[in-house]
Amino acid sequence: MADKIKLFVNGEEVEVEAGKNLIDAVGAVGIEIPHLCYHPALGADGNCRMCLVGIEDGRPPLVPACKTRAQEGMKVLLDAKHIKKIQRDVMELELINHPIDCPVCDQAGECKLQDYYMSYDQAESRMTVAPVKKNKKMDFGGGVVHDQERCIICGRCVRFLRQITKTGELGIINRTDVARVNIFPGRPINNRYGINVVDLCPVGAMTSSDFRFKQRVWFLKKALSVCHGCSKGCNLTIDHNKEKNKDDIIYRFRPRLNEQVNGYFICDEGRLSYKLENEDRLTTPKIGTVERDLTDVLASCKNEIEMSTNVTILLSPNASLEQMVAVKALAGKLNASISGFSDGYIITGDGDDYLIQDDKAANRKGLELLGIDTSQQGFEQAIAEADLLINFGNNLGLSYGADALKTLLTDTKTIACATHDSEYLAGAKLTIAVRSYSEYDGCVVNCDNILQKFNKAVTKNNELPTICEIAAEFGGPLTSPAEIFAELQQAAPALKPYQPATIPAEGLNLNDSEAANVTA
Amino acid sequence: MSDRSQLISTGEPFQFDKKRDAEFERLAKRYPTRESMILPALWLTQEQEGWVSQEAIAYIADRIGTFASKVYEAATFYTMYNLHPMGKYHICVCRTLSCWLRGKQEIVDYLRDEVGITPGNQTEDGRFSLEEVECLGHCGTAPVVQINGEFYENMDVEKLKSLLATLK
Repeated sequence: MADKIKLFVNGEEVEVEAGKNLIDAVGAVGIEIPHLCYHPALGADGNCRMCLVGIEDGRPPLVPACKTRAQEGMKVLLDAKHIKKIQRDVMELELINHPIDCPVCDQAGECKLQDYYMSYDQAESRMTVAPVKKNKKMDFGGGVVHDQERCIICGRCVRFLRQITKTGELGIINRTDVARVNIFPGRPINNRYGINVVDLCPVGAMTSSDFRFKQRVWFLKKALSVCHGCSKGCNLTIDHNKEKNKDDIIYRFRPRLNEQVNGYFICDEGRLSYKLENEDRLTTPKIGTVERDLTDVLASCKNEIEMSTNVTILLSPNASLEQMVAVKALAGKLNASISGFSDGYIITGDGDDYLIQDDKAANRKGLELLGIDTSQQGFEQAIAEADLLINFGNNLGLSYGADALKTLLTDTKTIACATHDSEYLAGAKLTIAVRSYSEYDGCVVNCDNILQKFNKAVTKNNELPTICEIAAEFGGPLTSPAEIFAELQQAAPALKPYQPATIPAEGLNLNDSEAANVTA
Repeated sequence: MSDRSQLISTGEPFQFDKKRDAEFERLAKRYPTRESMILPALWLTQEQEGWVSQEAIAYIADRIGTFASKVYEAATFYTMYNLHPMGKYHICVCRTLSCWLRGKQEIVDYLRDEVGITPGNQTEDGRFSLEEVECLGHCGTAPVVQINGEFYENMDVEKLKSLLATLK
């Protein structure tokens, strides 16, 4: 724990963390200091002047809170008349050239300018001159569309691209009231984290070409999740909505703060991977290529399992720990060999030194944690002896070419549980459509051995079974979530003090516990 | 201040000539960071071409090893960088208080009526261009006119007339 200090806000004593600036320090105990340009990941810039506060110790009457470190005994003034006036004055300046087109603006509902107007301004405009005209729709590349008139020149986007991605595509061009954010002609936003500027923008100046005009944000339901796009496991907020007479659909992923995993940001691929949750989903179970009822397919599956003499079970490295535990128990019951072979999920050289990882699977560490073999040799040996392969969501098409796969599975029938239709399913005798990660709760372990929990976001009209339920149907001994979690606690002792609902939001670092020995 | 964000592209690659190249390298040693070279490099460009094109900004950014957006920012922030072609002789007339009180308007009117240029424009033959600028720092000898960087103090219409006659 960081050191605590005591200071006074409006005469009341509060205890805050030492070493932070005033905005963050008193923000953590629920006292808001309004700010537009300051962002904890980008540092203090001090250009918006919205965070001016008074400090009663003989320094100048107003100081920017973003650049002022919280100190013991500091007397911070927030509700004095002159502070209220300066906040109103800054808001008035910000709004001089702002178009106030909230009814058609994507940011409406999550806009700092709107919020601060309601909290700190509420004054009518005194402007009688026309606002400065600028460009309304500029394609900055990388999925970012910019409205220069809405921009308040806080410079967050510019600082993000200079400090974090170090690509510097944006700059603030001109000065005075014609200042605007722009790209240099012919050098658009071209990096894998560009759409983060849309989240960073406190107003509606930066919009995502993907989300633009799709939904009003106040209709969106939020669920806390973890990205399954790669092994980093960046924390997400899933924004989804079920419109009347339609299905529950995800409209966007937004990054969620987790200091020990992804900080404030996510990559663009991960952000746009929500589309995979909506599109090309497998929705009906099949026997061969014929669509059938789930009960029929399950009956055929059980029949196949009974008739087989040697079963191999293949797990997806994207499955949750709960699913892995349930399937592993099933394998024990069926006396089947179990593998998590998934080399095809690794794209060597695709990762970078920031968030993106080579390994595009969310829970490979989970396979290791449960001691499930992931070697190619192990899998091929098992397959050579098996007459039935039960594949729980592992896209073998990534690891093998079509011909190689056909050869490999010549003497083996396949029961495949899958979320998406794909070519490797063509050879499957029985196919069961299962839920994807936005549709169930679970835990995954990321590349840094941090166990994270994610929540169910979407409930489809046609709700599919989960892999846990299928494993139980096939005769797996673990039938309830409680049993599965108890078994999981055996494998990951770090989980012992917790229940599924009480796993800390920032995740559990398994390296810190004796669980590290299990993976070694 | 007007919008200066529209850069003009020449369609041809830009680079420093030999003299400016040597000067660039000489100046680069003077500063602790290469980014400090943004303003001098823009000056060198303007000295060479008379104005700063889109290609020149890209060249400077790549030469310095910084973001083009940063050079773009600097070039549009400072109004003394010309972002479009100027006349052979670029006339800057100071319009700040001292010069205004001492008769800058007569000079501007003379240029409009007799030479045929208004602020922000150039003559048809491209010989002269005119700009009204803020304080040039020679208030004691107002009004002051600057032509291609040279100062001419205590100006009046007569003096300007004979001065322009020497500029071919």
